[in-house]
This record gives sequence, structure tokens and C-alpha cells, in this order.
Amino acid sequence: MRLWSRVRSWVRAVARRSRMEREMDAELRFHIEAFAEDLVHSGVPREEALRRARIEFGGVERAKEECREARGANFIESFIQDLRYGLRMLRRNPGFTAVAVITLALGIGANTAIFSVLYAVLLRPLPFPQPEQLVQLGAGLERGQPSGYVTGPQFVFCQDHAAPVFDSMAGFQAGPLLGLKQQDKVNWLTSQRVTEDFFRVIGVNPAFGRGFRREDMQPGAPLAVVLSDYAWRNFFGAKTDVVGTQLKLNEDAYTVIGVLPRGFNFVEQPTEVYVPLQFSDTLGDRGTNTRMIARLKPGVSIAQAQTDMNIVFQQFPAKNSGLLVGDYQRWLAGDFRASLILLFGATGLLLLLACLNVANLLLSRGSFRGREIFIRMAIGAGAARLLRQFLTEALLLSLAGAAAGLLAAHWVLGALVSSIPFNFSWAGPVRIEGSVLLFTLGTLLVTTVSFGLASYWQTTRGGGFATAREEGMQTQTGASHGRVRSVLMTCEIALSFALLVGAALLGESLYRLYQEKLGFDPDNVVTMRTAALPTKNLTSEQMWNSEQQLLQRIQSLPGVGSASVVTVTPLTRQANMPVQVFGMDDDEHSFGGTEIRAISEDYFQTMRIPVLEGRAFLQTDGAGSLPVALVNETLARRWWKGRNPIGQRIVIGSYKGRKLFSGPEIAPREIVGVVSDVKGMLLTRPAPPMVYIPATQKGDMLSSSTAWVVRTVGRIDIMPSLRRALAELNPEQRVTEMRSMREVIAASIAGQSFISLLLGVFAGVALVLAAVGIYGVLSLVVAQRTHEIGIRMSLGAERRQVLKLFVGQGLMLALAGAGIGVVIALGLSRFLSSVLYQIRPTNFLPYVVAATVSIVMALLASYLPARRASRVDPMVALRYE
Amino acid sequence: MDKQMELLQGTLDMLILKAVSLGPLHGYGVLLRIQQISKDRLEIQQGSLYPALYRLEHQGWITSEWGESENKRKAKYYRLTAAGKRKLQTEAEKWNRMADVIAGILQSTPEEV
Repeated sequence: MRLWSRVRSWVRAVARRSRMEREMDAELRFHIEAFAEDLVHSGVPREEALRRARIEFGGVERAKEECREARGANFIESFIQDLRYGLRMLRRNPGFTAVAVITLALGIGANTAIFSVLYAVLLRPLPFPQPEQLVQLGAGLERGQPSGYVTGPQFVFCQDHAAPVFDSMAGFQAGPLLGLKQQDKVNWLTSQRVTEDFFRVIGVNPAFGRGFRREDMQPGAPLAVVLSDYAWRNFFGAKTDVVGTQLKLNEDAYTVIGVLPRGFNFVEQPTEVYVPLQFSDTLGDRGTNTRMIARLKPGVSIAQAQTDMNIVFQQFPAKNSGLLVGDYQRWLAGDFRASLILLFGATGLLLLLACLNVANLLLSRGSFRGREIFIRMAIGAGAARLLRQFLTEALLLSLAGAAAGLLAAHWVLGALVSSIPFNFSWAGPVRIEGSVLLFTLGTLLVTTVSFGLASYWQTTRGGGFATAREEGMQTQTGASHGRVRSVLMTCEIALSFALLVGAALLGESLYRLYQEKLGFDPDNVVTMRTAALPTKNLTSEQMWNSEQQLLQRIQSLPGVGSASVVTVTPLTRQANMPVQVFGMDDDEHSFGGTEIRAISEDYFQTMRIPVLEGRAFLQTDGAGSLPVALVNETLARRWWKGRNPIGQRIVIGSYKGRKLFSGPEIAPREIVGVVSDVKGMLLTRPAPPMVYIPATQKGDMLSSSTAWVVRTVGRIDIMPSLRRALAELNPEQRVTEMRSMREVIAASIAGQSFISLLLGVFAGVALVLAAVGIYGVLSLVVAQRTHEIGIRMSLGAERRQVLKLFVGQGLMLALAGAGIGVVIALGLSRFLSSVLYQIRPTNFLPYVVAATVSIVMALLASYLPARRASRVDPMVALRYE
Repeated sequence: MDKQMELLQGTLDMLILKAVSLGPLHGYGVLLRIQQISKDRLEIQQGSLYPALYRLEHQGWITSEWGESENKRKAKYYRLTAAGKRKLQTEAEKWNRMADVIAGILQSTPEEV
């Protein structure tokens, strides 16, 4: 009953708000008038009676407020009231509102966009069953994480001995493109060589047929293949009877044993067919080139697994070759992780800066609102009521900012994602989804509360009375207000300074990358890869002949200056083998990871790589003639230390006397020249030791694909005619990676460029915000001190002095901000070290750049208000009230 | 005792309930009746009367309706509800008990302790 009446009164209160207001008015009016009437009856004149009645009654507004509160509908009601009032305030200051909302939108938008990516890549669970159980294993550390790669023997040992903590484990290697000949066409399928439990680890079962079994893995067993849903639909007509059939991939016969379900994609690489990975005892499989992942038993932690592995690997024959266990998703994210965290931190700073800016604006406005607040307090608004109103206003502002920010984030997200040079397709689509919205909501709450409190603190500290009196007298608003704003300003400049330092550090690091000595001339060079269907019976000579044919065709194209064949072009991938000095089986004269390049004789000329000593290859260096090689400077220095290596002999495929392949002895090669160093796969690493051999002498080092470099005469687009020529000559040929050498270089440092660019943008935005802040604060100071300026000028101050006074004030802010900024930047810059190239985070130059930019910005931003001050007309200013 | 006494905390509600229990009253009437019964010995802040009335109505002890005043003007009249009647009864009992206890304490002499 009581509850019901309460609800009824509440509902009535909300629904008939205006009626109840009217009734309340009427009731109180009746009271006062009835009271006055009685006074009149007792002989008081009417006028005087009404006055006394009012005084006796006390504050009508306060009573009303208490009545509203007593009625229980106050919260909603006053909220609606506050909302209306807040909206009116925002509408009344469109300039303030626009600046505040745009500032917030920038901060929240940048944060939301970066967080969307961060969430998808680092936080969202992988699309597998129990993804938290997935780990990766590696034989060594790479940037603090297990490398993800193990040797064949390590994998086999692990599989045989480390059962207690692992549910299952799998090794795999990216396989070659497999040619599937259908009618007259060759379809090239991407393949993955996987061990028995691969699908079990990932947590996927074939849609039909079966996965791999132990017997499929035995060397010599009939070859089995599991098709992806994509391959099954596109190349096998989605027929269920495909299981059990035979098919030919390249030159080998495979039996289809299963088809994977729709929607399953292997996260690391798009894979169309899966074939067994059988380890042999060759040096190749002894290399650290098998990817390894495993599924932990439920409840087993990574640390426990690591402890177990350490014990198990004490029995491993080779010393110091334990395996390290690490989180799989973290491995997948790789270098992107550090960049993302860095960018997220930067957007955090940006948001903080945006908040400071808005707080500053609110404070500036607050000093103009003193009178209004004073009146509200005088007619009975309590502290809680005021705070609530400020919070409502802050909420409105934050809501508008967040909405605009979300829109902006939604708008830039597509562009952002497509410009990210890291491969994170495994993470699935990047969206502004529930968790991201939750994050934005959190941001919104924080901004609302902080702005609300800032406004409240500003107006109540010192009391509304003081402010109102000051306002009324038009004197300078309390000096402490100015001090608070200056402190906020200084923080803003400090934050933008820190972001500037970050951007400058990355910029310098990028500059250094571009300054790296490539070792070749990248201009006007186009590269590509071709893959022909390998045929078992084709000798290396026949293969070379077909390449020779293609080479001649390309060289005859109009605009082509020179063209060559090479195993692998610079900055794309590795192609290494053990090499040793002939007859020297010691440690020092073998090198496991020597890069090998089989080239046609014009390669050095095409790439403009200087031959330093001896000669380049000649046409006479054929398959039948003396095996020859060239070495690069690095290898020459390593093995011959300043002595002339020409005439020395090396053995490719042999390490400390051990051969890479079983088979006949490998003939040593005679070194006929030394060439200048060229970068290997990474621009960030020094040139690796490298050996060049004539393509005619490749012998058994066959690979199904070859790279080409084509130098044009002048800047012409040779790609269309290249494609045509290739298609004419051999339609079965697959052409990939056709790019200019400049694009290859750009791609190799795309990660660096990307975060440098984004950080640069953030720093730019921060700078603009700080400039707006300085401008705003100084404009206000000028407005408040107009009177004083007038006095100064009438007493003989020159315009120049006034100008100097205010510019000086802006400069002081900038200097103080830069000072604090140095400390912040030094504190934060160590997070940068993982993305910097060859410069230390404490490098001097970026700090100088950031300081210069900050000071110039402060000068510009304070110049306008200062000029306004200097143009004050003393007569007008003195009358200014 | 000519001087007006200030109202004890929390007693205004009870006085209002008592006042309207004698017949429907408008707000000003409540004030007059309390002053009349108390023979002007209690000082009531007029401004605080209405929040109390609104609170009591919100709690369901009294209801209101618009009617006509003695001098033919529209006024809002308050009336005690059944729940209000019970409430007044318990409040009055509580008050009397409390008054007895306190009076007992204040009258106690050192020998009694």
C-alpha cells in the first residue's frame, strides 16, 4: 500500500511535472496571501502585510526545492531539468561547445580506433576451441619470446618424451606451391607440411574423411593429402566421393584422405592443402626451421609446461637445446604487439591532453559563470545539487564527444586497418564491437566525472560569493584561477612535447633506415617471381634452358636495359645453406647460414653491384666447366681476413666436414671474385655472408621458383609488357610478387613507417590542441586584463612592451611544459626502444627538435592574443567595465 | 511561558498528522491550528511546513485534494488516511513513552541512582 502510493506519487510527479509545479506555486501563493489577509484584518496596510508575509515565510524557492525533493521524484526531475539547462548552456556558447566536442572526439576517436585493433590482435581469443591452451615452442629467444622454430630432432624428442603436460603437439613447415594439373590448366595450391596431430592441436576435425595418422607419417608411406574446404569446392567440385581418390600434385601421387570443414582457416598462412611432414636425417631437417605449436592439458600453465620441458630436455643428446614455451597469440602478434602497445599509449596521452584542454576551457568559462552560480546558490541550490548539474553538463559534453569520436573511429577504422603493414589476418575482422564500446564507455565515464568535478571545484572553491563579487566589480578574476589554468597548460605542453619526442625519435630512426647502404641501385628495377611446374625428369640444364629462353625474351622487350635471374632478391627472403672452406673442417671455417644466390651472368650489372676483385661470371662458366663462385666482402673478411680469396675453394652444402645431402661428394668451387655487400632479407641487419654461383651450375640446388630483376632504361612502366611476354611464353607459369624495387624497400620498413606516421599524426594533433589551449588561456587573460593594459598604456607603456609581456607569458608556459616534457619523454621513451633502429631513446636530436617545435608553437599561439592586447585603445580600455 | 519554543527535531510530522486528524485543512490552516492548539507557544518555520506536508503525502499518511477556502478561494486540503491514523497513534504512543522515560530520568535524585 505504502509502496503503491509512493510509486503513484512518483509516477504522477514525473508524468505531470508541470501541473504539480503549477499546483505547488498556487498552494504557496495561497498561503502567503491568506497570511497577508489575516495581517490586513489585524490592521496592517495591505502592501506592508504582503511584504511581512513573504519575510515570515522565508525562501520560497528553497521551500519549493525541498518540496520537490520530498515528493521523491526529484532525481529524475532535476536530471531532466539539468539536461535542459546543460543543453541551453552548450547552445549558448557554440564556440566553446564545438572546440570541446572536437577535442574530445579526437581523443576518444583515436583511442577507440587503436583499441579496436589492439583488442582484435592482442585480446580477442583466437577462433579455436580453448585457445588459451595453445602454446608455441621455440629453440631460442627472439625479442623476449620463444622463436617459434625448432629442429626436427627436437620436435621428435619432444613428441616422444614430453607427454605429461601436453595434450598434443604439432610441427609444420610452409610447403611449396603444389601444381595441380586439371585439363590444360595448372592450379597452384598453397600447402602446409604438418605432423600427425596438427589438426588435434588446432582443434579442428575434418568435415568428412579423416585426419593424419601415424602410418601416414612413416617415410615411404603412400602420400596422403587433406583438402581445405576452399580447395575442395574450387578444384574438386565439392564432391564427397573425392575421399579415397588419387591426385597428382607436382610430380607426386597423393591420396585424398579428408576434407576440412567450411570456415576453418589456418591462422598463420592461407593453406589450401595439407600434406604429411616426414622428418629425414639430412642437415636440412636438422636446421631450426620447423614451426611448433602444442596444446596444453587443461589446467596446465605455461610456467608448469616450461618447468617440465626443462627437466625432459636434460636427456636430450645435444647440449643447451631445451625448448622454450610461449603464448601462441603473442607469437602471432609478433612485432605488431610492441607497436600496438606503443600506439595505444600514445592515444592515451592524446586523450589525457584532450581532457586537460577541455578542463581548461571549462575553467575559463567557469570564471565567466561565477555570477550565474552565485545566483543559483543564493536561491537555494545546495552543493550536491550544483555538483549534479555540473556532472550533467559534463556528461552532455562527453556524450557528444564520445559520439563524434565513435563516428570518427568508425570512419577511419577501415583506412587504418588496410594501412597496417603487419600481417594480422589471423586475428579476424577488426570492428568496433561490444568490448570496444565498453572501453569507450569507460573513457566517457572518466571524462564526465573529471570535467564535472573540475567545474564544481572551480566554482565552489573560494565560494560563489567571492567570484560573484569579483565579477561584479570587474576586477581581474582570482589570480589562483589563472595559476590553475597555467598548470593545466603546462601539462598539455609537456604531453605534446613527449609525443613530439616519440615521433621525432621514430622519424630519425626511419631516416636512418632509408640511409642504410643497400649495396645496389634500386631505381628503375622491377622484380618478380615465377614458378614453373617442376618435372622430375627435367635436368637442371633443361630448366636453365627454359629460364634462358625467358630471359632472352625479357631482354628483348622495348625499354629493358638489362635483366637477370636470381634465387632470391634482396629484402624479400632468405636462401641459405652451410658453406665451408674446402679442406678446413674446424669451427671457424664453416658457416651454417651462408646466403646462396644462383644468378645469371648479368646480375651484378643489372643490380649495379660493384665487383671489387676478380671477375663476374661469364657465359663460359657453364654446367660442364670448372665450378666457380663469388663471395661478398663480409664472407671474404670472415674467412680470409684481408688476404685475397681469389683462387681459394669452398664447399656449398657442407658443414665442418658433414654433408647436407646424402649422395656423391660435392665438388668444391673456386672463388673467382669478390663483390660488394648487399643486404639480405632484413634492411635492419648488416649484410650476411653471401656466395654467388652461376645459375648454369645450380646442379641439384633446384627450386621450383625463380626471382627476376629487370632494369629499365629510364622510368617506364614495364610491368604490363612483362606480364604479356610471360603469358605468351608459358601460360602454365605462375607469376607473383611483381613489384618495383622501391616498393620492396618500402615494404621491408613498412612497419616502421606506419608507426612513425601514426605517432607523427598524434604528435601533430597534440601540438594543435596545445596551441589552441595556449591561445585560449592567453585570450582570456588579455580580456580580463584589458583594464590594466589600458592603465599601463596611458602611463606610457609601449605597444611593443605589451606584446612582449604576453608573448613572454606564452613562452614561459612552453618552457615549463618542455621542461616537464623532457622528464615524461625520458620516462616513457624506453618503451620505444623495441621499435627504434640504431638510435637510443635518449638521443639528443629529437629532444632539440621537439623543444624547437614547442617553442615556435607557443610563440605563434600567443602572438595573436598578445597583438590584440597591444592594440588596446587606452581610452576604451579605461572605460571598459 | 510566553516565549516561543523551537520545535524538537522530527516532531513537526506528528503535529501535522494530529492537526489534520481533527478535520481536513489547507497548509495555512495546519499552521494556524498548531499555533492555536499550542497557544502560540511553538515556533514553526513556515517554509518547512510544505516540504513536511509533501513528504507525508508521499509516504501515504495524508492525501490532498483541491477545495474552496473560507473566503471562497481555491486551496489544497489535506486529510488523514487510514494508514496515517495508525501512524499517528503509534507515533503518539512512542512519544508519550519517550516523554515518560526522559521525565523519569530528569526527576531522578542522587539517592535513587
